[in-house]
Amino acid sequence: MVAPTSDSLTEGPIVSIRYSLDSKFIAVQRSDQEIQFWDRGSGETFSQRCKSESESILGFFWTDCPLCDIVFVKTSGLDLFAYNLESKSLQLVETRKLNVSWYVYTHESRLVLLASGMQCKTFTGFQLSSAGIIRLPKFEMAMAKSEANNKPVLAAEDIFIVTVYGRIYCLQVDRIAMLLHSYRFYRDVVVQQGSLPIYSSKVAVSVVDNVLLVHQVDAKVVILYDIYADSRAPISAPLPLLFRGFPRSNSSSLRSNREDTESSEVNISDHEAIIYGDDWTFLVPDLIFSVSNKLLWKIHLDLEAISASSSEVPSVLEFLQRRKLEASKAKQLCLSIARTVILERRPVSTVARAIDVLVSSYSHSIKTGNYLKGTKAGKTLPSGMPHTTGPKLSADASASRVDAIGKSIKYESSAGVDSESPNRFLTFSNSDSEEDASFHFFDSKIDRGKLTGAETSVSEARSSLVNNPLDANLSEQQESQLTSPAISPDEMYSFVFAPVEEEMVGEPSYLVAIIVEFLRSANLEKVEVRPNLYVLTIQLLAHSERYAELGLFVLNKVFLNLLKK
Amino acid sequence: MGLASASTATTAPEAMQLCIFDLRRGQNEGQELDKILFFYPADLPFSAQFSVIGLSEGLITFTRIFSPEAACEAIEADRHSHVFYEAEPDIWMVMVVEKSMEYEAKWRTDALRRVLKEVHSLFVMFHGSVRAMLDKDPGGVLARSHLYPFVMDYLGAFEKRSPFDECCWDFLVGKKLLMPSFRDSLKDRGTVQMLTVGREAAIEVQSLVRVLEASAGNLPCHSLILFQDLLVSTTLSPDDTVNLFAYAVLRLTPHVLSSGASSWSYLRKGATSNVSSSSILSTSGAVPEQYHGSHNNSSAGDNSSHVIRPLKLDKWSKGKDGFLATDIWGAEPSTGVSATPTVFLHQSEERMYLCAHQHKSLTLIFLIPVSSVLNGEQGLSTVKQQVLENVSLKLLKVEEKLSKGWGGENAYHVSGYRYLLVDGDRNVSRASPPGKVTTLSKESLLALNKLREEVDREKSRAQWDSAGHEKELEVSIRAKNNAWVIARVTRGKELYMVLEKANETLLYASDAVEKFSNRYCSGAFSLN
Repeated sequence: MVAPTSDSLTEGPIVSIRYSLDSKFIAVQRSDQEIQFWDRGSGETFSQRCKSESESILGFFWTDCPLCDIVFVKTSGLDLFAYNLESKSLQLVETRKLNVSWYVYTHESRLVLLASGMQCKTFTGFQLSSAGIIRLPKFEMAMAKSEANNKPVLAAEDIFIVTVYGRIYCLQVDRIAMLLHSYRFYRDVVVQQGSLPIYSSKVAVSVVDNVLLVHQVDAKVVILYDIYADSRAPISAPLPLLFRGFPRSNSSSLRSNREDTESSEVNISDHEAIIYGDDWTFLVPDLIFSVSNKLLWKIHLDLEAISASSSEVPSVLEFLQRRKLEASKAKQLCLSIARTVILERRPVSTVARAIDVLVSSYSHSIKTGNYLKGTKAGKTLPSGMPHTTGPKLSADASASRVDAIGKSIKYESSAGVDSESPNRFLTFSNSDSEEDASFHFFDSKIDRGKLTGAETSVSEARSSLVNNPLDANLSEQQESQLTSPAISPDEMYSFVFAPVEEEMVGEPSYLVAIIVEFLRSANLEKVEVRPNLYVLTIQLLAHSERYAELGLFVLNKVFLNLLKK
Repeated sequence: MGLASASTATTAPEAMQLCIFDLRRGQNEGQELDKILFFYPADLPFSAQFSVIGLSEGLITFTRIFSPEAACEAIEADRHSHVFYEAEPDIWMVMVVEKSMEYEAKWRTDALRRVLKEVHSLFVMFHGSVRAMLDKDPGGVLARSHLYPFVMDYLGAFEKRSPFDECCWDFLVGKKLLMPSFRDSLKDRGTVQMLTVGREAAIEVQSLVRVLEASAGNLPCHSLILFQDLLVSTTLSPDDTVNLFAYAVLRLTPHVLSSGASSWSYLRKGATSNVSSSSILSTSGAVPEQYHGSHNNSSAGDNSSHVIRPLKLDKWSKGKDGFLATDIWGAEPSTGVSATPTVFLHQSEERMYLCAHQHKSLTLIFLIPVSSVLNGEQGLSTVKQQVLENVSLKLLKVEEKLSKGWGGENAYHVSGYRYLLVDGDRNVSRASPPGKVTTLSKESLLALNKLREEVDREKSRAQWDSAGHEKELEVSIRAKNNAWVIARVTRGKELYMVLEKANETLLYASDAVEKFSNRYCSGAFSLN
């Protein structure tokens, strides 16, 4: 917990207020004509006013663009200022002239959208990243007409800029059609990408772990979408939003955890009655602010409940495999789902599709280098674990240890990515595969403090790992550092096939069928399968005296790397 | 018995005779005829039939004194060879072939015995054992009425056909009955020929097999998959695999169905004439009388009137749904739907429905226990549709994959070599394509035939001398035409090879074997 610091400002009206990115200044908009700056180090202040009375300031934001430090959005366009340390004043660097009715800006996308026109549906966008300024082509948003002469006007609260899997989308509420239109931004074009239905006159949008949450405020439910897949179908049925305090528990579908604000001593249970109150403010990506409760909530996904609410196993696994925030949880869920479908003897084709999802996800994580580091690190300490203590237990422990180390490395490298990712910014918005780079925009700058906190906990975990690798709490902590829920063939063996084989009763031919599907999938994705799975297959075939098939397996070199050795 | 009239048809000595008899029957004087369960040619005078059987029985009884476990295997007489096979305890099959100075009449007794073994195995697969039939009907009518059409269908000589329709006989080519001769030395009857597939295709195939198995519900289902005339996958025991494979190649594969002709084309390709058997056509029409007519009033009279003939030619066809259908097994009286064939598995001793599905070159045979299907044909057709639904997609994929990897008729040709590779443990063999074998000269083939005969003898001797110890053998012969004829036997595997146009040194020959062994047999025959 960080002790709160306070800065005292001079009296006067406050329209809006923002820290600079380096936290050295506070900018306060005093009116639509004036913004006041306060140097936190020296305590000095100065003001910046509009040049002419005819224009007014709509708002402002700090930026890490190399050209300037702060941008004023005015009715007449954008003013870009650089802060001059010597003269303690702002220097106008550039002006972009255009009529602006209102604007939307989010720091995670570095994108400002300027609305203009009668209906405010004509948009001009600028992206001010550390790579420079990019002007997006002008585009119009779709608006359904209610009557011939009654044209609806788009408002700022109807527009949401969201970042999902590194892609920047704009979501626009169309109140007449009751649709949420989505637009995707590319470097030189804006493409409409389909619409989602809405069931409430008031809608809010959050993004948690690349999952799009559409709050149907009137109905007091959330509908979840994973915009990775082509399908625009929701992940699950509408789910309620529930409060959860510390410590986190797993029972509900969606949990809101309070931020560590000054109001942490307030008892949460008092507020459970007013979910989706009128005074709620939804802050992109994943925060909810309630004025009357004096609380700030952070939205958290309950993966377990979401996966339990859908029976489509392959799509649930796909969803889980894309989760990064709680990768270890997602991974454990995937493993247990895989075990369950096999033990329940679901149709082979269903299980095969589920396995395809897991294998291709692993193969993808190998290609992007997410997993490789983990396994490499794991190989450096293969003898550390006594393998005599029950195969399951030791496998469990060593796997989690591999994860922890893989993760800590990953974390460091991702920090590196972080610093350079602004340069790649527009390239990534053009390609789909760069989830990693983009992901860190969540953390950058704003959450820097928290990030370092996490890093220290990783190093703690690592040092204590040497001392006592079997500590239960510790292993939980280690697992929470996982960056990818991908499951290696080795883990498939240790946590799916081996335990299932122990539990399964009767004819093993079903399990052989599943293993063959796994081999097929692994072969397709060029993923190497460890010999232990081959050994298991041989045992299963031999126990059921199916020598003809065993012969064919050997003849056709299915047990490829077993024969090599 | 009043059969004397039938025996007047011909007096010419038959070039080939095949008889099946039961030593436990007809023990008393005057009842000798009761021993005979099958005799070919059927129109041979009984006196001649008796003399064959009497001689055989005498030899069996005599040799049993010295070797009760394994009596007589073969007799080499001046003008005939007698090949013995004890198909079931005390049920013997004997084939008598004429010797002549012609090359064509150079027999290898083991190859002939394999013919006897095959026809018996197929018979048991469809009808159960001969002994069981005799127990069921002590009069012998049941057994005779089944054996006669079955063996005759097998020999391809039962149906009366126009003399121009020559292509449809199995052993009968033109007017000759063609038994495997020295020209077939690079073949091994009673083994399975397999398609070599890559790992990826193999996994796809296995995946298909598993889905097939799973989609039959809880029924313990078996399957056999063929590509063209080659085996791709089996879940059956080796014995059952060999039998079903032989039947599929005879009657079910796309090649057989499309040509309307029977397979074993390779038998015809190389050879010309063997045995004159002109009497088959003229006399076969009258033959059944001998077996049916005389005992018609016995208890099994009903069965004999409706005998299933699984080997009957041109009776299988491919339906619109891809399933192969036949009316051989009759129709269910209530529905008029053709009855599904059933086979008897050697390993599980269970009667199974035989369902065959064909997609292009891929033939999928699956077996479902008769006992586990309710509602007979109706229940079965539900199961079939269910299976098809589940596997059809995979079936297309596998067919496509195998077709892509298929190297054609000469896929297993190795240039410079003519070879036969036998894995006795798994009943699998692979040989040079027949088209390539025909390029060998007579001298080479004769030498090979002789060498194989020698190896057969060594093998059977080793079997009795020291059971459990496998024979290791290596023979290289320089034939008259300067070809190298080589045999190597090791750890249950056999390799036969003819190298024409080879260098004259033995070193060269053994080098060639070594190379072949390393390249195609994972070094199984390599000396190091």
